[in-house]
Amino acid sequence: MNLIFLIARDSFKALLHQRLLVGLMLVAFGMTVFFSAIMSRTRDSITAQFDFSSTETNSPVFGKMNEQDKKKMNEAMEQGATAIQGFFYAASSFGGSIVALMIFSTAVTAEIRRGTIRLTLSKPVSRLQYLAGKYLGGLAVMVIYALLTSAAVLIFSASTKVQLSPVLSYAPWLMFCRQLMLGSVALLLSLFLHPAVAAVLAFFAGNGLFSTSNPLYYLLPSYAPFNVFTAILQGSMMSRTDVVLLTLYALDFVVLMLLLALWRFQKREVCS
Amino acid sequence: MSAIQTENLGKGYRAFLFGDLQQPFALKGLSLEVREGETFGFLGPNGAGKTTTILLLLNLIQPTVGSAWLFGEPVSRSGVHRRLGYLPESVNLHDYYTGQGLLEFYAALLNVPRETRRPRIAELLKLLRLEDAAHKSVAKYSKGMLQRLGFAQAMLHDPDLLILDEPTASLDPVGRKEFRDILLDLKHRGKTIFISSHILSEVESVCDRVAILQKGELKRVGTLQELSSSRSGRLILQNVPGTVLEALAATSAEITLLRGQVTVKIPDAATLAVIEQLLRQYGIQPERTEVETQSLEDIFFSTIAPPPPIP
Repeated sequence: MNLIFLIARDSFKALLHQRLLVGLMLVAFGMTVFFSAIMSRTRDSITAQFDFSSTETNSPVFGKMNEQDKKKMNEAMEQGATAIQGFFYAASSFGGSIVALMIFSTAVTAEIRRGTIRLTLSKPVSRLQYLAGKYLGGLAVMVIYALLTSAAVLIFSASTKVQLSPVLSYAPWLMFCRQLMLGSVALLLSLFLHPAVAAVLAFFAGNGLFSTSNPLYYLLPSYAPFNVFTAILQGSMMSRTDVVLLTLYALDFVVLMLLLALWRFQKREVCS
Repeated sequence: MSAIQTENLGKGYRAFLFGDLQQPFALKGLSLEVREGETFGFLGPNGAGKTTTILLLLNLIQPTVGSAWLFGEPVSRSGVHRRLGYLPESVNLHDYYTGQGLLEFYAALLNVPRETRRPRIAELLKLLRLEDAAHKSVAKYSKGMLQRLGFAQAMLHDPDLLILDEPTASLDPVGRKEFRDILLDLKHRGKTIFISSHILSEVESVCDRVAILQKGELKRVGTLQELSSSRSGRLILQNVPGTVLEALAATSAEITLLRGQVTVKIPDAATLAVIEQLLRQYGIQPERTEVETQSLEDIFFSTIAPPPPIP
């Protein structure tokens, strides 16, 4: 177990030294901040549309409006905030997916290409320990990414006093599960194919394109239920049971992919 | 016990994922034994299969046929790697560490006890003249420094077996000399050393036995004396009767008589056999025998087939 954590720590360190990856994470984080800022600006502009006398008195805006204006303003603010939250979610989800694909599709192959894997595996490290360590290292980076984006939303919603969609209470978790699923598929495929091809295939490997009568529907991962973009826009909530079931599905799927990856990695020649 | 043993070890490469095995094999039916405590030179021209053999021994690639063992255990068991140190041909190290940090990482992987880790690393950094660069990023190391750091990581846990692939390729003459001294010290301490190298003089100076590989096939294996085909040399004889002198002069050997001492200069193995029989026949024991063995370079070039002539 100790060896797995040592490899994970090394992998984490290596990932944080990848300029492209850190840049990508910063861009994704920047997009989150950008949408949060827009959320704040939207709220201000909507308020300004209905604020006819705020410059004249110090009283709250709502106190100067009639009931109809108040209702219109509430609706407009709600629509604006919902749309922005939806776009924020889509941006951070897409950014996170790209980060996950990049991390996991290169986790092992980059070390094979550079030749550094030779020294690590010449130590008493089994391939299971190596692969598990690599996955854990990537997972740690994904946790940081998820925490950063979640923290950004909380900070901006607190500072702008915008009511967050209740869907966002579990959306980051489902997004994280989906990214780990994507990552595990990318890791498996990267042991057969070029990492870039593996990443692209993993991204489009969902069963969303197939009907339930097609066997591929049951073979390919089901990413769609993890995507709550529509739910944010429509305000439809998912039950707690559904969230738990989706988590279990993701866990099952990741374990299966990792077992397949291990099977492949045991036979894989680790010399470029 | 054997430190390294291979039996009919072979490696072929596939054209693609499901393609047919491509000929020729990178390694063909290698059966080899390296005994514990031995310093073994592994020689061959480029593409002979030396690095392939090492990768197979480290279980980094899978054999197409045959098996390999380290200290009696199959190479696929990662536990056996506890007893081995490896220096690859091109040393690629994690460049996001400092020299010291990298050695600490590998020492942790090798389960070197925490209390001895720092002193051991300091000792190796000093031995390999990397003390001043210990806290420098590995990315800023020169080729020679990387080679020395690679050697340090191979020796971290004082392994019983060292597998070194072209260990002095990036070292300057001073570095080579220092490296040879370290190897001799390890040899005297009873460590098993397996060196693949193109530098024949280096192998000759430290190795007990050598193997010569060509196009994936093991051509010869043995000590320098065993491999030496030339049996030229000199016999020093005293009190040789005239009849024997005449018989000796009739052979192709060169006879010199000086103050009653006869020196017989033997040009080849066939003449040596004739003279030995002659001396046995007359009951004469040579006072001294000086057999000249070939240099490793001579052995190497006589073993590998000469390149085709340029038209």
